[in-house]
Parts: sequence; structure tokens; C-alpha cells
Amino acid sequence: MSRAFSLRVELPLGAFALAVELDSSARRLGIFGPSGAGKTTLLEAVAGWRAVRAGRIEVAGSVLYDAARGFALAPERRGLGYVPQEGLLFPHLDVRANLTAGLARAWRRDGDPRALFGRVVEVLELGALLTRRPATLSGGERQRVALARALCSGPEALLLDEPLASLDLALRRRILPYLVRVGEEFDLPMLYVAHDPIEVAVLCDEVVRLEHGRVVAQGPPADVFASVWRAERLEGAPENVLRGVVRENRGDVARVALTDEVALEVSAAELAPGTRVVLGIPADEILVATRRPEGLSARNVLAAVLVALDASRPGVVARARLEPDGPSLDVLLSRASTESLGLAPGARLFLVLKSNSVRVLSALAPSA
Amino acid sequence: MAGTTTIEVLLVTLRVAAGATALVALPAIALGHALARRAFPGRSVVETLVALPLVLPPTAIGYLLLELFARHGPLGSETLGFDPGVLFSLRGAILASAVVSFPLAARTARVAFEGVEPRLEHMGRSLGLSRAATFARITLPLARRGLLAALLLGFSRALGEFGATVIVAGNIPGRTQTLALAIFSDIQLSDTRHALELVGLCVVLAFATVFAVERLLRRDAR
Repeated sequence: MSRAFSLRVELPLGAFALAVELDSSARRLGIFGPSGAGKTTLLEAVAGWRAVRAGRIEVAGSVLYDAARGFALAPERRGLGYVPQEGLLFPHLDVRANLTAGLARAWRRDGDPRALFGRVVEVLELGALLTRRPATLSGGERQRVALARALCSGPEALLLDEPLASLDLALRRRILPYLVRVGEEFDLPMLYVAHDPIEVAVLCDEVVRLEHGRVVAQGPPADVFASVWRAERLEGAPENVLRGVVRENRGDVARVALTDEVALEVSAAELAPGTRVVLGIPADEILVATRRPEGLSARNVLAAVLVALDASRPGVVARARLEPDGPSLDVLLSRASTESLGLAPGARLFLVLKSNSVRVLSALAPSA
Repeated sequence: MAGTTTIEVLLVTLRVAAGATALVALPAIALGHALARRAFPGRSVVETLVALPLVLPPTAIGYLLLELFARHGPLGSETLGFDPGVLFSLRGAILASAVVSFPLAARTARVAFEGVEPRLEHMGRSLGLSRAATFARITLPLARRGLLAALLLGFSRALGEFGATVIVAGNIPGRTQTLALAIFSDIQLSDTRHALELVGLCVVLAFATVFAVERLLRRDAR
């Protein structure tokens, strides 16, 4: 697989200039940063909504813009599905007509737009909304329709500009699984702009941090967020985001396999076996022991190896890899307990975690 | 006797106003769109030129048209080699009304297009619609009410046209005599009863069109 995104974008932007240089082979790339950093502008430049002063834009192997050759593809020929923050549904068309507005391109591309339409409507659960007008939809419905409309146009890649930003937190958590499902079902390269680190961690393989129009960090979401957390002295603790599959459910506790050999118990009565979940664990809700503790009410005692210690903040962030060969977790400790336990990289640890400290960020029921 | 004349006058008036509206529709919509959406050199000159007929005395416009289409004028029969049949004819009345209505229609059309969110048009393009398809399927339907109001305003301006029409097309009963011209004639002939009847008709027509325009624009603003 070649680079999914290769972006060189220069354009004047208010008080400063957008000057992005970015290569990534991640299929799902998050763009994260403070408001006014140029995130939306970057997306609009990629979509061809905005004139670019210099640069080159390549998405999923297609060159969309190349200043050196004086080449700029018209927006309608870029093959991108754009989902803006405000949805931008066509107010004069009902939901069905909104969804089919771009169907002609899907038809030119692979012949069976009706099947695509059916699949999108099913995945995003829009069947009951097809005859409604945008003005009568709720915020969450509107964003699902905007996402569906982009998918129905048969795009080569998706550009998502804070599609959940206009929704309240509870609704965001309800819509997030749809985005996860879209990512898995349609397997399109995706540029995802977000404010919320958890959304990016759940959806993206890699994240870029944009500040004042420039890329200041790029890497796996956990690393970028940990560094931002350190640099900005954010309140609270970094959130660990893990993926897994529900193996069994014993009434109030579900057992989620993270790998073949590592599993977590999670308080979640409603999760059926086979459900794919994304879990969030705050770094300050994990206890560390150097010997296997016994007689605990906490459901999870996980063997781990200390990989790194970062003491550059008042609290210490210990990164521990679950054994054998599991994912890594960041644990927030005090300096005093780090010293009294004599923690050093390479140390064998046990991580203790209550089943109700684990939040289910996204759950995808097994497809029928 | 007066009844048939009134109906005749009404028919001529409607024919002139409808003809002028039809003549003006496409150019006014095209210019309104260009002024709302495109930056081009000389834009403000074009804007001023378009506004001119709003402020020039209609008689001045009529005189310019008269000179333009006079036998030896730039568009006269001698120059063209055939008679365009404009002077002292229904065609002339339509043309004179069209010239006077055009700025009103074009300016209202421009406002209608400016009311369409440009990002919706970008979205149309990103969904694979060409520039023309985006215009037809997104811009035009969204500007529909404002454009209808623009045409109705042009129509109502044409209904009342007097100065330019009387100079270009004369005041020929049954051919070019519109309501405005007939009222003038009636007053000249001291036929106040008939004049009042026509004035009443004018008020009804004007009320209906302006009422419709207001409704269109109000709901458009929602």
C-alpha cells in the first residue's frame, strides 16, 4: 500500500499562513489541534473548495493538485466524500434525494449504486428517515445523513471535519460507533479532523497535531496525546484506548479479549459475545503492584512489563505492556509511589483495574 | 363600449408586461448570478450601468431607444437592411418596458443568489456534480423564490411603464395603449369615469403582484 496521504499545502490564512507538510501511510489519519490551527482550511484545500498558493496534494494514490505542474483537479473530479461540521444537507431535498445527489458518480465508478445506497442506509440505520426533510432531523440524524451522502457518492476517500462537534457528549458517544462501523465496512482512507482526543484514538491509526497552520507532531494517537498532555499540563489523566472483542457475558460483566491471550473484564451488561468494542481506561484508575495481589474485589489483575517511565510532569506516566504481547497502557502514578516501589524499565508488574473503570467508547454488534 | 375598451387595454398591458418579463428573465438571472458569485474586471462599472435605468428619466431611455431604432440609427432599418419593427408597435412597447424592468429584476436576482450558502454549492461539486449540474440542482432551486420575486418585480414595473413606452411605441389604442397610457389619454379627454375605472384596475394588479413579491421574499428569508 502506497502513501494514503501526501499533503503539501501552503495558503494565506488570516494572521498566519497554512504551511502543512505531511506524509502518512495510515489509512485513517486524525488531524487534531486547537481551534484556529487551520484544520478545516486544510480539509477545504484538499477538497478543492479553497485556492492553494503552492504545494501538492495526493490522496490514496491520486494527485489532486500540483502547483509545480499548474495542475488542479476540479472539486467534482477529486472523488472525495466531504462531511462538514455543520452537515450542509441540501435543505430543499428530502433525505433520500440528499443521499442520491452524488449517486451519478458512484454509478460511473462501479456500476451498482443501488446496492451501495442500500448498504449505506443499512449501516447508518437511515431507513426510517428517507422521506424526511433536513429541517425536521435531529443533530445526530443530520450528521448520519451527511456521512451517508458522502458514502453514497462512491468516494475514493473521506474527509471528515469534526462531524460530531455540534452534538452533545452523550450523542457523540452514540454516533461514534457508526463512524467506526463506516471505517470498517467501507475501508476508505479517511482524514478525520477532531477536537476530542478520544474520537481520534478510537477512529484513527495515526494522528497529526496541527498548530498555527503547521504540523507539530505525528505518530500513534496514544503517543501524540501523551505528549500533548505533558506539554499543555492538561487536567485529568490521559485516556488509554484499547480494541477488543467480547468473548462472553456473565450477566453484569463481559469478558473482552484484547489479544488471544490477554483479556479484560468490563462492566457492561448489554454486550453480546462477538461484539467488537473500543474501550477507554483513564490512566489514573489503574493501580500498580510489583507482586501478584490476592483477595481483591477488582476483576482485573494483568501481568505487564514496564516499558518506559516519564517523570517530566508532577505525576509520573508509566507505560506498561500487557503480557504476553498485549497492548500498552499508560498509568499515572505519584513520584513517591514510583520511588517506594523502585520502578524502573523492564520491571515486571501487575496492573489492577476495576471492571467499572473501563468505559465502552464504541460497540459494534456482530453483523448478522 | 367602454367595457370592451377596458378589456382591450388590459390585454395589451398584460401582453406588454409578460413579453417584457420573458425578454428580461434569462439575462437578468444570468447577470444576477454573475454579480453575486463572480469577481470580474469592471464589475462595479457593470453594476452602475445596470442601475442606470432605475434613475434615468424613462423619457430619456425612450428617446435613446427611439434614436437607436430610427431609420438611420445604429439599429434602424437602413442600417440593418430590414425593418426590426420596433417603433410604434407592440414590440417597441415590450422592448421599452423590458429595458426599464431589467435593472430591478437583475438586482433582485442578485440578492436571491447571494442568499444561497456557497458551501452548499461546494458540497454539490464535491459530490461529483459539474458546475452546471450544481447550478441546476442546488443553486437554482434554493434561489427559486427570490428569482420568482425578481421576475414579478420586473413584471410589475413593466405594468406601470409610461415614459419610455409612449416615446418608442406611441399611444395607439388596441396596439400599444397600455393602462398607464390609457389613463393619460382619458384624462386628456376628460373621461374621468373611465380613467377611474382603469386606475382601480391598476391598483388591483399592483396590489396582487407586490403582495406576491412580499410573500415570496418573506418566506425566502426564513
